[in-house]
Amino acid sequence: MQHCTPEQLALAALREPLPADDAAHLADCDRCRAEVASLQRAVDAVAVPQLAAPGPSVPPPPRVWDAIAAATGVSATPSPAPVAEEPPEPVAEVLPFRSRRRPVLLVAAAVVAGAVVGAGAVAVLQDRDDGEAVTAVALDPLADNDASGRAEVVLRDDGTRVVEVDLDAPALDDGYYELWLIDREVVGMVPLGVVTPGSQTFELPADLDLGQFPLVDVSVEPLDGDPTHSGVSVARGELDA
Amino acid sequence: MSLLAVRPGDMGSVRPVVTDPGEARPGAPDPDDRELGRRFAAGDEQALALAYARFAGQIHGMAVRAFGPGPDAEDVTQQTFVSAWTGRAGYRPDKGPLPGWLVGVARHKISDTWARRDRQRRETEAAMSEAQAAPGRRVTAGVDTQVADRVLVLEELDLLGQPQRGIIELAFFEDLTHAQIAARTGIPLGTVKSHIRRTLERLRTRLEVDGAALHA
Repeated sequence: MQHCTPEQLALAALREPLPADDAAHLADCDRCRAEVASLQRAVDAVAVPQLAAPGPSVPPPPRVWDAIAAATGVSATPSPAPVAEEPPEPVAEVLPFRSRRRPVLLVAAAVVAGAVVGAGAVAVLQDRDDGEAVTAVALDPLADNDASGRAEVVLRDDGTRVVEVDLDAPALDDGYYELWLIDREVVGMVPLGVVTPGSQTFELPADLDLGQFPLVDVSVEPLDGDPTHSGVSVARGELDA
Repeated sequence: MSLLAVRPGDMGSVRPVVTDPGEARPGAPDPDDRELGRRFAAGDEQALALAYARFAGQIHGMAVRAFGPGPDAEDVTQQTFVSAWTGRAGYRPDKGPLPGWLVGVARHKISDTWARRDRQRRETEAAMSEAQAAPGRRVTAGVDTQVADRVLVLEELDLLGQPQRGIIELAFFEDLTHAQIAARTGIPLGTVKSHIRRTLERLRTRLEVDGAALHA
């Protein structure tokens, strides 16, 4: 088959999962793998948790400001103390040791590294009793929401497909979460059903083309009897298949 | 139903504390982050104190994550604010929020500290090896390539324009996929992908040119 596109090789260097065809090609193609490896040197250099976006805030001791004031000659004093200024924002809340991309990241790394690390890491997606995971996507919080999770499309041994969703989201006082597959224009939508925080499985309609509805979307729906999307999405991811 | 209520977030690494000027805390004449950034860039000493009050916890949190609580972390926090202040001419308020820029400066300080430690390790090892080796035989310990690469990559990131820099920082430091970056920023998926490609190529070139020189 054809080589992977340069864009896809760049995504592979970032350890994003590729569509199945490209992933299969990459595993066998020395040229494409060499390209990924050469792009990955920069990725690996900074892909350390210590450089990730700020996590928990730690107020420095007062002597730190004293040293800054001495070095800069600035006589103003910070007030109030830094400890009072913690913004509880989900955007800054990247936990250094629990990567949202890690589950799929392992698979991409295994594809790139081939037999070397492949045996153990590939099991994350493929070693199942009931079928084969074909693609997985992180559900990222939208706007200021706390909802996030992961969706995995599994091709079962009997030929049916299911979406396994792991949703991490606050319980709702009124209303409920609903899972959708949506097209790129955000016009066509396939409702898959009510989803609650935790893990659950949704069967996919037999002939549904996931390429046509690649967005996995979690919405908050009011109890108003209206079957259409409320327009309030809290988490979303895009399937690459 | 064709429009979902999703608004793109900020490009900076850190969400500003107060983004809406009308959202100022009651009784506090504090400027919002945008205004604070402008005053900081203009050299207003109160702005340094206020930026410290607002962001030192986040910066120090990064430093502590890298080095544990103690003198090294405190040095990083101190150097970050001192460098940011003395180098404030390099901060462009229109290119991004102040806290995101401070986080970028902190990454340099953390990375520089690693590089300094690596240099000290090599000097120590070289000294020990030379003491043990036959006279006149020069022995050099290996550079930690990744430590050296890290400094170069962070340097090159500083040279990127927007939106390239914001995009690659979301990928590198917030661990977002290209689809998530597109959703977050409102930049079309294809554009995100091609920026990622070009930026990684640029970083590769930098490492091939300057990284190789380290081993010469």
